[in-house]
Amino acid sequence: MASEPPTSAAERYRPNRFVSLPAELDRSTFDVSPERRRAEAERLAIRARLKRQYQLQLNHPNPAPIIENPALTRWAYARTQNVYPNFRPTPKTSFLGLVFGLGPLLFWAAVFKIERDHKEKLIKEGKDF
Amino acid sequence: MAVARLRGVLWQRAAARLQDARTVVAAPPGARAASQMTQDMLPGPYPRTPEERAAAAKKYNMRVEDYEPYPDDGFGYGDYPKLPDKSHHERDPWYRWDQQDMRHNWGEPMHWDFDMYIRNRVDTSPTVVPWHIMRRHFFIFVGTMLVMFVIGGMYPSYMPVGPKQYPFNDLYLERGGDPNKEPPVVTHYEI
Repeated sequence: MASEPPTSAAERYRPNRFVSLPAELDRSTFDVSPERRRAEAERLAIRARLKRQYQLQLNHPNPAPIIENPALTRWAYARTQNVYPNFRPTPKTSFLGLVFGLGPLLFWAAVFKIERDHKEKLIKEGKDF
Repeated sequence: MAVARLRGVLWQRAAARLQDARTVVAAPPGARAASQMTQDMLPGPYPRTPEERAAAAKKYNMRVEDYEPYPDDGFGYGDYPKLPDKSHHERDPWYRWDQQDMRHNWGEPMHWDFDMYIRNRVDTSPTVVPWHIMRRHFFIFVGTMLVMFVIGGMYPSYMPVGPKQYPFNDLYLERGGDPNKEPPVVTHYEI
């Protein structure tokens, strides 16, 4: 134990896909360098511009019937209509397609066939099941 | 010969009529698009050049440095940005979002799995105990219980019991014994 290099609390926490690092253990929370400040300022500028656009539409005296959220439209479009045009058969996609597309069919067909054959055998032999 | 020519003319006339009908249905005069967005504002293919990346970042209202598309594996993501996998439970509840329940601002790029990360569903908030420790404790407990139950099923152990003792000569009449005959005497005791 004494020869172990000192690990940080963030490394010992081991965040993953299911749980994220708490802000208290994240080094970037305490990062006040000018680059980070400039990045945050740019992000704030984008956010403020979007908020202004939204508020102008929201408080318009002659409002449009619906305020369309372009981010929502893009999200819906990307998940539905943009998937097939960007699909490409690669070894990985072909393998996954086989495993998840064809695999369950063959697996359940085999399961049902074996189970029914076994039951048929028991019926023919007159046994209980 | 004449029949074939007639049929050919009729076919061409039908095709022309169909084409006219199609243009009429496609965009009648005075029609408005359902969305105000043009095709260049919608998601497109994976960006290859730095200019395409900058244009995509601008399209999604992100900084060029923040914009990171999904890897081009042919999975169909296109140029959609890869945002951090954090659920909306982690977003500030006290900030005045445009949509307070969704904790989402108008125009802000939505995560690909947005509908999974809403506050009714998956929660990726940091836990008090780290995940790998919780996972380890869970599997140790469940594994031990399963092993014990399986062993207990294979080698069951009960309190020692003797055979059940019934009255009335082992229920001779109830079990269909002949009432005219003398029942066999059964004693369950020893003095």
